[in-house]
Amino acid sequence: MSTTINAAPAAPATASSEMSRPSVLRRIMRDRVAGAAATILTVVVVAALFAEWVAPYDPYAINLLNVMAPPGGDHLLGTDSNGRDILSRLIYGTRNTLMLGLVGVIFGGLLGGLLGILAAFYKPLDGWIMRLVDVLLAFPAILIGLAVAAIAGAGMTAVLIALVVATIPDVARVARGAAIGVMEQEFMEAGRALGVSDFTLIWRYLTLNCISTIFVFLTLRFGQIILIGSALSFLGMGAQPPTAELGMMAAQGRDFLFMAPHIATVPSLAIFVIVLCANLLGDAIRDVLDPRLQQ
Amino acid sequence: MGRQIIHRLVISFPALVGVLFLCFVMMQVAPADPAQIIAGPDAKQETIDAIRLELGLDRPIIVQFIEYIGRVVQGDLGRSIISNKAVSEELAQTIGPTLELMVGGLAMAIPLGIMLGTFAAVKRGTLIDRAIMAISVAGVSMPIFFIGLLLIQYVGFKWDLLPFTGRNGPFWAGGFTSMILPCLTLGSVLIGPIARLTRTAVLEVLGADFVRTARAKGLRERTVIIGHALRNALIPVVTLIGLQAAYLLGGAVVTETMFSWPGVGRLAVGAIISSDFPTAQGAIMILALAFLLINLLVDVFYVYLDPRMQRG
Repeated sequence: MSTTINAAPAAPATASSEMSRPSVLRRIMRDRVAGAAATILTVVVVAALFAEWVAPYDPYAINLLNVMAPPGGDHLLGTDSNGRDILSRLIYGTRNTLMLGLVGVIFGGLLGGLLGILAAFYKPLDGWIMRLVDVLLAFPAILIGLAVAAIAGAGMTAVLIALVVATIPDVARVARGAAIGVMEQEFMEAGRALGVSDFTLIWRYLTLNCISTIFVFLTLRFGQIILIGSALSFLGMGAQPPTAELGMMAAQGRDFLFMAPHIATVPSLAIFVIVLCANLLGDAIRDVLDPRLQQ
Repeated sequence: MGRQIIHRLVISFPALVGVLFLCFVMMQVAPADPAQIIAGPDAKQETIDAIRLELGLDRPIIVQFIEYIGRVVQGDLGRSIISNKAVSEELAQTIGPTLELMVGGLAMAIPLGIMLGTFAAVKRGTLIDRAIMAISVAGVSMPIFFIGLLLIQYVGFKWDLLPFTGRNGPFWAGGFTSMILPCLTLGSVLIGPIARLTRTAVLEVLGADFVRTARAKGLRERTVIIGHALRNALIPVVTLIGLQAAYLLGGAVVTETMFSWPGVGRLAVGAIISSDFPTAQGAIMILALAFLLINLLVDVFYVYLDPRMQRG
């Protein structure tokens, strides 16, 4: 088996050499804006990952003697309507929000990528898969979230399902487009002529050559996914109190907007910064890995 | 052109059936049994069974689905559990404000986005260009509710310039001021992407031969930009608006909820929170159908804008 693969032109090599880590990282960091975005995102992710150690207070500890305290003093970002420390809730909330985005992008990317690649590889499946994609595209992400919440009840799971389902059709289209391009390459024909199994053709020849395109697309989508997820949480379809999640924290703060605007503004601003950094970094990654997508 | 439109309609058909089927499935997999809901919590099993028989819930799924389509076509979407009004009646009352909001949002975003994008392209490489592009990247990254919160807090509350809750009737009958903040909020999501794409499209067209010819003929710069470059650059912008329809719709749901705007999105959110299943289902279906319709209109408009499409 291994000899056949070696005999075939080493298809995946182009992708892997281009993606060799140090050079890609260095090229991204050369862009000052992207470098700053990457640094901020790293700090945010590390703080979210080690929330237990980083957060100054218990994010769920209620103190009714100190509600809606303005930023400054003991509580750097103030307290919310239940007297909970906003900074601590922000750190824990960021963890949940990032988790929503990551799960949406990873699972949606896997399923969508698989569908797109299968559609390109098996011609008879193409029509069926693309019709399914069209139907999925007819449901904007927020509607999927509302529908899932209506069926299964509001909660993080509803938002997760919505984000995964919303990611699938777009990724499927991108993956199919990339895979069709690869299918026309000579090494695919060579592989077939050598009797390489479908599984190997799909995985080693096709998928590995599409991965960078799919990856770039997903990094560009990540910010949007976070925005959709937090919008659903803001509508009350996502995380339920007392869980800290940025969109839901903003929604809770909305009720006290005129008395204590910081309760809603701080988490909203945090979402903005995360999404902005993700978008800037995504753009830089695209420019380095797949400049054709710039179109 | 007629053939193109028919072709688009045929292509949209599977998506239409898909939307209806998913809404139907939503009802099937919902934890609540419709017969149980209608019968009430203390009903006897025989009553529930009788209602099941009456509603046809015992028949095969595919028969139920065809019957469901029949009911939808007739406008029968069931009754709201909360208000006991017909869902179609509730939707008829809310669809107008939603359309008004979306059209208003587009009416703010499209001219502003195109203007900013063209301006950035003409001033390419200058500080103005970079500032406009920075604003548009920031706009794309901003949660829509953040923009809404800022507008409510400052323009509505602190400076007391505009109303920020509810809708004071249709815009021609005194409701115009109550429309401005919600439309601005919704439109803000689209300004960034439209500006970015307009800039790219105008830059591309500015390098084309016919623009050079126009300049060589001695036309004024303004005529060249608006009459030649921008007109041709609009084609990708129209496509983009179609692609952004999902954000427009999602944004409308959030905006309506924030500004207590009496539209379909707010109806859907309220229905889900109060477990009013028939209303939620009807509202979600209408929004999905509206989305299909927007995409269809964009496609038709696209053919109209770009005559090359008719031959293709």
